[in-house]
Amino acid sequence: MAEQAFIKGNEAIAEAAIRAGCRFYAGYPITPQSEILEYMGAHMAEAGGTFIQGESEVASISMVWGAAAAGNRAMTSSSGPGFDLKQEGLSYLSSCDVPAVVVSMMRYGIGGGDITAGQDSYLQAVKGGGNGDYRLLVLCPNSVQECADLTYGAFDLAEKYRNVVLILGDGAVGQMMQNVNLPPRVEHDINSYDWVIKGKPACAKKNKATNLNWYVGDKAWSEHVYSKLHTMQENEQRWENFMVDDAELVFVAIGVSSRVAKQTVKMARAQGIKLGMVRPITAWPFPRKAFEEVNPDVKGYMVVEMSIIGQMTEDVYGATKYTKPVYKHCTHIDIPIAENLLEAAKDALAGKLKPEVAL
Amino acid sequence: MEALRKPELIVQPCGFCGGCGHGIIQRLIAESLEELNIADKAINCVDIACCFWTIDGLNLDGIAGPHGRMPAVATGIKATRPDDIVYIHAGDGASYTIGIAELTHICLRDVPVTMIVVNNGVFGMTGGQLSPGTTLVGQKTTSTPRGRDKIANGQPGDFLASLSHHDFEFAARGALYSVPEIAKTKKYIKKGFENQIAKKGFSLIEILSACPTNWNMPPVDANKRVEEEMTKVFPLGIFKDRGGKSNG
Repeated sequence: MAEQAFIKGNEAIAEAAIRAGCRFYAGYPITPQSEILEYMGAHMAEAGGTFIQGESEVASISMVWGAAAAGNRAMTSSSGPGFDLKQEGLSYLSSCDVPAVVVSMMRYGIGGGDITAGQDSYLQAVKGGGNGDYRLLVLCPNSVQECADLTYGAFDLAEKYRNVVLILGDGAVGQMMQNVNLPPRVEHDINSYDWVIKGKPACAKKNKATNLNWYVGDKAWSEHVYSKLHTMQENEQRWENFMVDDAELVFVAIGVSSRVAKQTVKMARAQGIKLGMVRPITAWPFPRKAFEEVNPDVKGYMVVEMSIIGQMTEDVYGATKYTKPVYKHCTHIDIPIAENLLEAAKDALAGKLKPEVAL
Repeated sequence: MEALRKPELIVQPCGFCGGCGHGIIQRLIAESLEELNIADKAINCVDIACCFWTIDGLNLDGIAGPHGRMPAVATGIKATRPDDIVYIHAGDGASYTIGIAELTHICLRDVPVTMIVVNNGVFGMTGGQLSPGTTLVGQKTTSTPRGRDKIANGQPGDFLASLSHHDFEFAARGALYSVPEIAKTKKYIKKGFENQIAKKGFSLIEILSACPTNWNMPPVDANKRVEEEMTKVFPLGIFKDRGGKSNG
């Protein structure tokens, strides 16, 4: 039964998770994503699931790990320094191929930083913050509808690869309100998969949710990890390209910055300036294929990001094999403004900007 | 007289050091699960460090690490599978130091899980360093080679006693230095599982255990040390038994 609602992005994530069969949520409050926790606190019990406000982010993701290993669809969410504390759990989940959904609604700054929107936790999300060779499947909503849709599909995706899926939003996407179509509610059977841990008769094969290399052998495990990551990279790239066929300069942006970038492309086109946009919907795997659709004579790219250094720059250089200059328009703690972005694009096309060196 | 037999649950020789209590504890767990007829419902949640090895020693589904987080992990498992028997096997470092927040809050939530804490007063697997919550004052460890100094290194605490102030089901401390103490310890472990069968709340059983390897002592002397020195700081017995009604 589809329904419409006028809700925040954070609420859409929580509601879509419940509708996808998520029946375990644990989290610790942190701005700007506390609505996810509050929504779960208000609605998880009536869906027949468990809500726990954990003693820390570390404990919360550990609870999620236990619930997910036992077969539940489980989720936790955080932001900024709270997401830092999830890295231990993310690495452990990855060590034994346990799928779960984790949300990071990025806030701005280093350390405590600030409580408002930011996009400077990009590298942490896509390159991994925990130890070992793992990657998260990173989905980047830029609207309330996408908050719902990407979260709803995240559990199937996580189970398909037995990999953690990260919903990487930002404070602005989490806080803004829009109309959203909500998907139908499904129930998940905790015995759907043979890898879950549970009580079993003596004769049954036993599962051990710990470093799987000890059970399958280092060679087999290494080949499995390598193959899984490459398969995900090949098959799961998602993106939205906007007016890239003939563009002379192409913005690359996610989340709230991509909304401004799209508006800027429209303004520029009205003035006869050929701009375009590549919007990664998956930040990992980075949608390298999206760049194959871009005008081969494009003069350059411009990363639009709420950070200081333009954290996505190295991914754009990688996707374009360093064939084009990459500029940045970084607005730090502020949401980009279309007029300013248009001026920056004009400067880049006029040769007034220096290409970025990826840090 | 009943013949002694190895519990079916134990499926490989245990690799613990000579004189270590972990092997006895693994056996007591296995015997208790079999005698209560719940082996086919049990999930083994082991913390990292020496406890870890029972994940392979026992023929159960198991989950291991992260260090100190097993009360949280077990909380997620029990919420998902409330009819399974979920137990934690962890050390004193995991439980009383790095994971004291997780242990405190599983007590406060009174989650119907059984937790066994093995207290040997050192970090065994990493080579015998100070265990901040349990190493006795004056005790030499690899990180306090001149003995634990109360000012410089802090002092041990009786966490079982302090946690017992909270409202949960059962807390007891046993030891392994004599046959009668082993028998009492087994009763505590069994009680912890019985509480879970009856859907009562959280049960916490601490066991004083010798670590001859890291104490640099022959096993007999190590057991004597548990009896004569450790029990003075960590008294044995039942700390709380709510005897409560079913918790769900």
